[in-house]
Amino acid sequence: MSEGSVGRVLGSEHTSTAAFRVVIDEDQFLQLDDLVVVRTHVPKVGEVSTYGVVTEAEAVYEGAQYESDTHRIAELGIMPAQKVRTASVAVTRVDPEVWVSTDPGETVERATGDERRRALYADQMERPLAIGLGRDGLPVHIDLDFFDGRKGGHMSIAGISGVATKTSFALFFLRVLTASPAIVGESAANLRVLVFNVKGEDLLWLDRPNRLFATTDGAADGWAAIGVEPAPFPSVRFWAPPRRGVPDLIPDTGGRLEGIDVFAWTPREFVDLGLLEFCFTDANDAKNQLPFIRERVQQQLQRFAVDIEGQPGAVALRDPRDQPGGRWGGPIPASQAGPVATDLATLVEALEAFLDPDEGEPDPAWTGRVQLSTVSAFLRRLHAAASRLGHLVRAGEGRRIDRAAANVTVVAIQSLHDQAQRFVVGALLKETFQQKEATGQRLPLSVIVLDELNKYAPREGTSPLKDMLIDIAQRGRSLGVLLVGAQQTASRVAPEVLENASIRVSGRLDAAEAERAEYGWMLPSTRARARLLKPGTMVVNQPSVPVPLVVTFPFPPWATRHEEVAEGTDDPFLGL
Amino acid sequence: MARIFVEGWSPEYGSPLDTAELAPAEGSVDDTVEAVPWGALDGVDDGIDRVAFVDGVRRIDARLTVDDPVAGPVPGICGTFAVGAVRWDRPAVRSTVDEVRLERWAIVACGRPELFPTVDLQPPYETVTIAARDGDALVHALQTKMREAEGALATELSNDVFVLADGPLNQLGPHEVVGVVKSHRVTYLRPERNTLIATLGAGQRTPLFAIKDFGRYSWYVRLAALDGGHSWSGIVRCEASAHLPIDQVRAIADRTATLLPLVASAPHLDPRAPQNLVPVGALERVLRHRMGDAGLVYRALRAAVSERVAS
Repeated sequence: MSEGSVGRVLGSEHTSTAAFRVVIDEDQFLQLDDLVVVRTHVPKVGEVSTYGVVTEAEAVYEGAQYESDTHRIAELGIMPAQKVRTASVAVTRVDPEVWVSTDPGETVERATGDERRRALYADQMERPLAIGLGRDGLPVHIDLDFFDGRKGGHMSIAGISGVATKTSFALFFLRVLTASPAIVGESAANLRVLVFNVKGEDLLWLDRPNRLFATTDGAADGWAAIGVEPAPFPSVRFWAPPRRGVPDLIPDTGGRLEGIDVFAWTPREFVDLGLLEFCFTDANDAKNQLPFIRERVQQQLQRFAVDIEGQPGAVALRDPRDQPGGRWGGPIPASQAGPVATDLATLVEALEAFLDPDEGEPDPAWTGRVQLSTVSAFLRRLHAAASRLGHLVRAGEGRRIDRAAANVTVVAIQSLHDQAQRFVVGALLKETFQQKEATGQRLPLSVIVLDELNKYAPREGTSPLKDMLIDIAQRGRSLGVLLVGAQQTASRVAPEVLENASIRVSGRLDAAEAERAEYGWMLPSTRARARLLKPGTMVVNQPSVPVPLVVTFPFPPWATRHEEVAEGTDDPFLGL
Repeated sequence: MARIFVEGWSPEYGSPLDTAELAPAEGSVDDTVEAVPWGALDGVDDGIDRVAFVDGVRRIDARLTVDDPVAGPVPGICGTFAVGAVRWDRPAVRSTVDEVRLERWAIVACGRPELFPTVDLQPPYETVTIAARDGDALVHALQTKMREAEGALATELSNDVFVLADGPLNQLGPHEVVGVVKSHRVTYLRPERNTLIATLGAGQRTPLFAIKDFGRYSWYVRLAALDGGHSWSGIVRCEASAHLPIDQVRAIADRTATLLPLVASAPHLDPRAPQNLVPVGALERVLRHRMGDAGLVYRALRAAVSERVAS
């Protein structure tokens, strides 16, 4: 159904299969992102519908030769001229697929209803998931097949920081994803989302209603149009590291303490999960022989580590050569254990006894006969790691993050040192990926949301974490591990990670950044606009629609900071 | 010695002093009709709402030859002209092009009876013949047809608007139509009267004078004081029909002295400034455009003639 003519295809310049211009009727208007359809009669084929989206709107006085003629026309009225308004349209679709240009002079109609669906390929999407609202207030969809791994996977979100758009959009997307089981289908079962809170504490209020929601214009209508009930996330678990220098396990968060679980790894888990590699995540650490000695030490650790009776999680490093089968069976009494590693610092001390003993030569079984300077460099980094992330490793009962406990798992790492942040991210990604690798199944889906991707998978250098992210980007789609990566500057992120994202989203961009090749998917007009996008407005590109679409997403019904938490749901102990 | 000036008008337009104009007989100009002392008069804006500017443009589309083996070749032309008006709605501060009329003529010399074949153009060519044989007479015939169409349009519009027509008056009925003449080939006033023109300021006019032989009143208006211009630059001569009462003509003359400077063109934009009025310049552009692309018209003419030969 079309709403009737808004104008005609401009005939004074060439139309093409990619773009055409519209002369707008005097009593009509077209604005950016409006969808239009033109019907062209093609000889031997019949009627061909060309769908497009408005990328620019223009107006001029026809008849004005000189700039000063504007005064004569508009102010003095002594010069005849005609105001002409035109719009540039980028073609989104030709149906049937006969790639001819539109005929000049043809009627241009607004695409509404079914025509709108066709213009946006929604009729061809088997599982259309709303990803925002078009200029007309109606939902714009992505083909979920291109996110959840069936035909493509992953999402990349770019945009300058400070307007909180990237995270907000990612959460909006997650909310729609988790609240639309009918569309998500079998993938919805046991869908798990892992979100890292890397800045501020924006994500620690996802389960609380936002008191500004009711008074924000268009918020409720927006969610109604999307078709999702505007409510906070129903199933969220929050995890934070323990506060440093405090023996009790208190979450290291500022605004909220209750409802937040403390996570940490025991030395035993550190050894078993092979977390040592994530102490070496600086891109420069891949130089020299460091990776070699790291792997050697990791293997030795797994052989030597033995549990201690009565000290859960703690280990001692003892040679298992004399044990049956050359492996440690059960725990040994503390009296036989020698130095016991109860945290990272003590574990490093225990390692030092093999790598750089006070007396005698280093044990070649541990060092692999690398040069002494390399061993020293290795130990220096380990000591640094012990001071920066030592508090994340402590003996006691296991406090690993349980991703199965809720749909959405938020891990607050904003208070940690960069190196500790990379350690946590690396550990959790590895755990997630290994679990999926073990099952070999795509379902249930695991979605990982990670901001500041450039820190974890930088363009330059290599690190175990970068390798892991590239691995997820390349193989995660078939294993159901889906990355929603966000970054300020896509040009600083490893290209392998970006290239594998089927869905690309961008908020406002720095002018220089917008010109980079990483944003080649944008139209020139979109690039120009990307500098001006307001918070809440995004450009979305997906494989099933050949032009980027501009969408808005509604104000969140969940709080994004403490002050927004609705009265009555506020815990009196909150913020203590 | 008098100074010599280079005209600001582009040479291709011809000098503003050169079009064929009325040459009244000695003693037929009466410069006392307004009964005021001979001196500069300021214009008066009577607040007229609607003003129309009428003008036409023409083009020779092709030269024709009627092949007569006996009498020798006979010349002809195909020409197109367009006349139209700009309506200036002063309260609405808006001008619109209106009433565009297009005619195409095939004009053949020597009274020949041949009709030009049908051409696939709108409007089609009509054939007319004239007695004369020379080429200038053919162009003149086309010019006359255009002037007649302009005159008819001006008269028609004068029923509800004040009309300023380009060039000398063509129809001398009792209509509020003023002919605005840009060029000054003929001197109408006695030398001692003529000196007033050099002293006119912008927006001032001379008193009326009657050109009795030709049934019209006339007066001079200065549109603008041009830097470095000669004493007659920026001067137009206006005409109104002598069928109008003298008081009405005086009001009209006062009106033109205020209105015309408002629509005068600027020298850096129009080579015929200031006399070529802004609405008229814009109108001419539209009219030229409406006559159709010259190349396409020429091609259609060739096609029409060759079809006849083929059939």
